[in-house]
Formats: sequence, C-alpha cells, structure tokens
Amino acid sequence: MLKVVVFIKQVPDTSSKAGVNPDGTIDRARAKRMLNPFDRYALQKAIEIKRQYGAEVTCVTMGPPPAVEVLVEAFEHGADYGILLTDKRLAASDTLATAYALHMVVRHIGAFDVILTGLQTTDGDTAQVGPQIAERLHIAQITYCEGLSISGTTLSARRVVEGGFQEMEVQLPVLITVANSATPLDYKRFGDVAAVKEFLRHPEEREKRIKIVSLDTIGADSARTGLVGSPTVVGKTWKLGEIGGSCVVFQGESMEREVSELIEKLKADGKGVEELINA
Amino acid sequence: MPNPNNVVVVAEQLQGDLQQITQELLGAARGLAEKLGTGVSCFLLGHGITPLAERLIHSGADEVIVVDDPQLKEYTTLTYRRGVIAILEHLKTPPPIVLMGSTTIGRDLAPRIAAYMEVGLTADCTELDIGDYEHKGKADPTKVGTFNNILYAIRPSFGESLKARILGPWKKPQMATTRIGVMQALPLDKTRKGAVFTVAVKFEQEDFRVKVVKTARDVSTSVNLTEAKVIVSGGAGLGGPEGFDVVRDLASVFKDAVVGASRRAVDSGWIPYAHQVGQTGKTVRPDIYIALGISGAIQHRVGMANAKTIIAVNKDADAPIFKFAHYGIVGDLYQVAPLLKKELIKMAREKGVKAGA
Ligand SMILES: Cc1cc2nc3c(=O)[nH]c(=O)nc-3n(C[C@H](O)[C@H](O)[C@H](O)COP(=O)(O)OP(=O)(O)OC[C@H]3O[C@@H](n4cnc5c(N)ncnc54)[C@H](O)[C@@H]3O)c2cc1C
Ligand SMILES: Nc1ncnc2c1ncn2[C@@H]1O[C@H](COP(=O)(O)O)[C@@H](O)[C@H]1O
Repeated sequence: MLKVVVFIKQVPDTSSKAGVNPDGTIDRARAKRMLNPFDRYALQKAIEIKRQYGAEVTCVTMGPPPAVEVLVEAFEHGADYGILLTDKRLAASDTLATAYALHMVVRHIGAFDVILTGLQTTDGDTAQVGPQIAERLHIAQITYCEGLSISGTTLSARRVVEGGFQEMEVQLPVLITVANSATPLDYKRFGDVAAVKEFLRHPEEREKRIKIVSLDTIGADSARTGLVGSPTVVGKTWKLGEIGGSCVVFQGESMEREVSELIEKLKADGKGVEELINA
Repeated sequence: MPNPNNVVVVAEQLQGDLQQITQELLGAARGLAEKLGTGVSCFLLGHGITPLAERLIHSGADEVIVVDDPQLKEYTTLTYRRGVIAILEHLKTPPPIVLMGSTTIGRDLAPRIAAYMEVGLTADCTELDIGDYEHKGKADPTKVGTFNNILYAIRPSFGESLKARILGPWKKPQMATTRIGVMQALPLDKTRKGAVFTVAVKFEQEDFRVKVVKTARDVSTSVNLTEAKVIVSGGAGLGGPEGFDVVRDLASVFKDAVVGASRRAVDSGWIPYAHQVGQTGKTVRPDIYIALGISGAIQHRVGMANAKTIIAVNKDADAPIFKFAHYGIVGDLYQVAPLLKKELIKMAREKGVKAGA
C-alpha cells in the first residue's frame, strides 16, 4: 500500500475581523483559526490517491496545541493518521527552520512514497516549505502540480508553467506541491465523521490515530529551529491601505440601479469609456 | 575569474526565450549594486543559450556566467539545481545577494538552493533596498549586532494587508524572489560591455529522476490580448462554456475589444488557452478590463493589474478582485452584463448627441 504524507497548517482566518490588530498584524490568540485553504487541495489529492490506488494517509502539522483541530478535520475528509509537532522552541521559525523540523517528522515516520503539500500558506505565503522539505530529504519534487497518476513506482504529473504546462514522470518517492487551479474542491467528507467523533472520545483510540510529538521525540536539533535556527527575521511591518486603494463598489437592492450608478460614476470620472464604444 | 562580490541574478529562459522577469531582476540588481558599490552578475543556464549573454549585458549585467549543457535543454528542478550550485561553488566565496523571479521556475528552484546553502530566502518581494540594521533581540545572543549595507527584502503579507521588511544579514547569499511585473527593467543599452564566463557542471545520476515527457507552450498570437484597448474576461463564475456568449455579447459593444479568460475557465475547456490572462497566460494593459465572474487570484491579477480601468462583476462582495478593481458591481453577471451593455450603448449615444449638437 502506498504511504502518503500530507503537510497541513492551521492559519488565522483573515477574512474575519477577529484578532486583527489596529496596525494590521494578527493576534494569533484572538484570531479565528482555519485549515490553510491551499492545503485542502493537497488533502483532497491525498484522499483521491487513497481511493484510487489504496494508500495510508498521514497528515502532519506543526503549530501550537490547538492545531490538532486541522488533524480532526483531515480525519473527517478521510485521512488515517495525524501527527502534531508542537514545541515552544519552534516559535518564530522561518521557512528554512520549518522545513528542517518537518523533514525530521518524515524521518521519524520512516517509509513514505508521496509527500503532498499545499502550494503556499495564507500566513507565511512563501511556497517555499515544500521544496525545502524535499531538499532536506534529498528527493525529487514536482511543484504546481495540477494532476497526477501512479503506475507501479512511476508517478506521472502535469505541472503549471508560464505559457502552458509540462508533463513529467518521476520514480517514487517524490514531494508534490498541489496547485489550486484545475480541480475545484469537493466539499464531501469522505471519512466516517461519526467514527471520528467516537475515537476522539477514547484516549486509547485517539492515541493510536493522533501522535503529539516534540522536537525531542523526533530527535530534532533545537539549534536549527525557532528564532535561533532561522536565517531571517521580520524587521519592520507597515499597514497598507486597501491595495489599489479605492474600488468603488455598487451593491444594493436593484441591479438596474447599480449599473446606472456605475455608468454615472464612469461619466463623472471622465474615463473616456464613451470613445471606445461602437455607437 | 568572475567577481564573487557582485549581486547575482539567476536568468530565466524558456526554449531560448529570455523571460521578461530576468530584465526586471537585472534592473533591480543594478539599483542594489550601485548602493553597494559593486557590479551585477547573471547566471545563465540552458542549452545553446550562450548567445543570450549579450542581451543580458545590454540589460544591465556586468558579468554573465554560463552553464551551457545538453542536459539543461528543458528545465527540471534537479538539473538546474545542480547547475546553480556548480556556479556558486565555482565562485568560492558566496555572493552577497542572489535574486530570482517568483515564477513557476523561480519558486521551484530558489527554495532548494537556499536550503542547500542553509541561507534565508524571502519570497515574492515587491521592493528591494539596501540599508543598515541593528539586531537587539536577546533570544539568540549570537545574532545581536549592527549590520551595514544589507538587503531589505520587502513583501506584502497577510493577504496584502501588511508590508513586511525581511532581513537576514547573518548568512550569505541573502536570497529573494521578486513578483512578476513589479521591478523596473532598464532600457536596453547596446553599448554596454561585459564579461562572459563559462562553468562546466558534473551531473549525478540522481539529477535525472524527473523526466519531462512533454512541454506544451502556447505562444499563439491569434488572439490579440496584448494590444487590445478593451478586454472583457470571463471566469469560473460563468458556470459553463455558454457563458462566453454573454462575455462576447458585452465585448461587441466596444470598438476594439478582445475576450479574455481566467485559467480556471481555460482549464475547464470553455475557451482556448490563447485567451488566458495572468501569470501563466498573457500580461495585458488595456484601457478597460471588465472581469465577469473572476475571483481575482494573485496569478490572474499579475496579468491585468496594470489596466487603466478595471470593472469587476462578482456575486461575492468579499471576492479579492474588489480589493484592486476600480469599479465593482456585486451581483449575478448574467443579470448585470446585459444591463451594462444597454447602459454603455446609451451612454455613448448621449455623448454622441451632445458632440453633434
Ligand atoms: C502557478 C499558477 C499559475 C496560474 N496562472 C494563472 C493565470 O495565468 N491566469 C489565471 O486566471 N489564473 C491562474 N492561476 C489560477 C488562479 O490561482 C485561480 O485558480 C484562477 O484565476 C481562478 O479563476 P476564476 O477566478 O475564474 O475562478 P474562481 O476563483 O473559482 O472564481 C469564480 C468567481 O466567480 C464568482 N461567481 C460565481 N458565479 C457568479 C455569477 N453568476 N455572477 C457573478 N459572479 C459569479 C464567484 O464569486 C467567484 O469569485 C494560476 C495558478 C497557479 C498555481
Ligand atoms: N507549520 C506547518 N505545518 C504543516 N505544514 C506546513 C507548515 N508550514 C508550511 N507547511 C506546508 O508547506 C506549504 C507551503 O507553505 P509556505 O511555504 O508557508 O507558503 C503549506 O501549504 C503546507 O503544506
């Protein structure tokens, strides 16, 4: 059976105003939490592989204790096992330090065939952690993957590139970052939601499915994680006005009204739209 | 021997075409190099690409370091990784700064190089600068100190609501990728002179683990998106190929309008790829861009954000496109588009009457 590892992260929900400080930074303690939307595509791809080829799917997340919530969500989607890496010495890890810690989780797991990550996170927003895990594990990667199939030990994939796409073949193991384009999300839960609720209630069952590990458990070197292990720091932040600044939005009861208000505004702003029309 | 103290740009070419991002990076690198009092080196990898070195010099490079090898004909992560590492190791001392593009290649390759070198990498920068920094944080005493002339890598964060300056003065090279279409390319200067060096690379068997079976690049110019004055685009919100009838109908109002599309509409097979606008489609700068049922993902936005007037129609008031469009209508495009068509015609007629009177 294929062994699939999926990296998922819990991120602050920036669409809700809760936990957003006046200066635009996030107060993670107060912010609502959610599964990184890009990681849903990775999770969906993992479940597809499981349904199509048969696979054991292990989800891994690194974060503070509440991050266990994303593992529960992953079980509902059909994942088999979850690992939460949580440790105070991970705080303020940049991508290099995060990838170091996450690759140590993979080493702790042992054998694997396919590692899936999201394209990027909505808070870190770098798309770097996936390739950096692959580098640490000395394995091949396919980033921006839009579709894949597996035959024996060969994985075929389609990758987005400027101007089109590439089709490629790779021998397992491989790390894939899953693009958000092409396949829309399927909101069905493929896991047995009632059974998930049930095993979460029994500490023994729960422990079989969810492992909570620290840097010591996985044998990671704390000098390579957190602030100490990160070659970069955030020096300064500014709040931006709404970008582009000033979208004039027409919204209301009647479409006729909205459209005619837009036209009036275009005229008033002297956009010269009239000149471009066939009249 | 190439100068290891230069600011480095890793060039990007696809099948022998230099990508625009490379000129943008060279423009940015020159600015940094002038502040540092050093030059600009460009790494150029591929097969049969040595003649491109001159273009790179005309675009701002002082030195071009070429790896020209049949194994680099197609881009693959591991072979290009080996090539870049070979050049960096050839330089003996690591350069101060290495820049790449936030493209599907740059974002594939840069993180692997950074992890190999164990250095920092800042993604998707929109500004780069040089300055000083005093690190006071006591959490790690080995980091404390004052650092002069380091890279300021500035990038948007948290859904573009914040801008952050990322610093990594402790290790060299300081690495960054920059967003497409943001840095200023320099005008081509055919009188510029520079030096070209070549480096040989020794591949390992493991570098060939990924085989490219096919590369489909559509460079068709059958649809003239880049020169159109007006673009009316449709996205997944159209719900099906027939939706493009509505898009075409609205476009027919304008004198010189072309139909555009989001990648999702193209991938759904509703319209050919030649219509796609965005990072992996065309970059456009029309006077008017009307987006019907397009959410405004960053990869779409980088292709059309320079339109003079952007009008978005979307039924979701929270769609990201309303953050950067100039005008927006929240509503069902199937209701809005016909009304918009009618009103636009009326508007032009009224104007015509006034002009005639
Ligand atoms: C490497 C890479 C490169 C990419 N390159 C590109 C690119 O070049 N160009 C590109 O466009 N994308 C590109 N993408 C994909 C991009 O990330 C988005 O997935 C894509 O742009 C989404 O297309 P969309 O807005 O049509 O679809 P969606 O994001 O699904 O948005 C559809 C919108 O329609 C609205 N809607 C639905 N029904 C209606 C209705 N009846 N009336 C009005 N509104 C309605 C919805 O509210 C929604 O906002 C790329 C992705 C990757 C990973
Ligand atoms: N703390 C984390 N825990 C688990 N996975 C992560 C974490 N951070 C990043 N990842 C994975 O790496 C991908 C890219 O993240 P980023 O480089 O932060 O944009 C995400 O989509 C996740 O799949």
